[in-house]
Amino acid sequence: MCDTCGCGSPSVRTIDVDERLLALNTAMAEHNRAHLAERKILAVNLMGTPGAGKTALLETTIVKWRAYRRILVIEGDQATDRDSARIAAAGATACQVETGLGCHLDAHQIHDALHHLDPREGDLLFIENVGNLVCPALFDLGERLRVVVTSPTEGADKPLKYPPMFRAAHVVVLNKCDLLPHVPFNLDEWTAYVREINSHARIIKTTALSGDGVGEWLAEIDNLRRSLLVGISV
Amino acid sequence: MHELSLARDLLGAIERKLYPGDARVVRVNVGIGSATGIMSESLRFAFRVICEGTRIGGAELCVTTIAARSRCGNCGILFEFDGMIGRCPACGRFSGELLCGDEMILRTIEVADV
Repeated sequence: MCDTCGCGSPSVRTIDVDERLLALNTAMAEHNRAHLAERKILAVNLMGTPGAGKTALLETTIVKWRAYRRILVIEGDQATDRDSARIAAAGATACQVETGLGCHLDAHQIHDALHHLDPREGDLLFIENVGNLVCPALFDLGERLRVVVTSPTEGADKPLKYPPMFRAAHVVVLNKCDLLPHVPFNLDEWTAYVREINSHARIIKTTALSGDGVGEWLAEIDNLRRSLLVGISV
Repeated sequence: MHELSLARDLLGAIERKLYPGDARVVRVNVGIGSATGIMSESLRFAFRVICEGTRIGGAELCVTTIAARSRCGNCGILFEFDGMIGRCPACGRFSGELLCGDEMILRTIEVADV
């Protein structure tokens, strides 16, 4: 037997595995997804920069729909329950998850929050992730739709600088479009960068505070919710 | 990245493959896609720390890189690249659809009986 590394030793045995690691988070995310699909609940994971307007977009959504649709929101923030207070004031049920040192929500936190919220069939579930363009992209929560909310003040090159986030998105919302005439943001350049990273994502331009463009956002969510309810896969 | 939690997942996956009689793990071979953003050095460090005191403690973690492959969304050609984002060699645009390179694979576990 080799003294340096032990090679050639008859007592060393190799176990062939060749398995893709289904990380603990992924396994829990699949569990969440199955649970949500069973109850026909559309789960939307809202990600994006701090201050892009994720909460504002949710507030506008809730105000439009609160009269005839049950909306549940899981709010992820490093600290405080300020966002869940805003969500509750807008008229939806909120569950705040304070992540502390954590920079993202994970599937276990969503699992616990779901048990707390106890959603009913046909409910709409929004998960507002921690504001961060890096880590949330790497953690599947069991959602049906992944949305990135971004805004013109962040600059046009963010899709290139944070590719996993934009690659993972089904929908990219450019919010605060009322600022476009006032900031040095080239919309065509930004759109081209999003398309280079992700050729499929739907791009929706909104101004959550005034409600401009929000109709297109609501239609996107509602179409998906309806298809889930009638069992069409899209 | 989150190498510490990945190391914990890796430790769990290894434990599930071992038999009670397996005395000591000497080497673990993993493949990591270049588009995962996982840093091998950080993973090795986290793995060493997390395995201390177990029968996997002291095992060498051998990491091989799996090249990321993409299909260009513009011209449709397949190309390999290194890192998290790749530029199409034909048309110069950034990657379209990622085909592989975002995975972590546990390949083999080498076990010593004593």
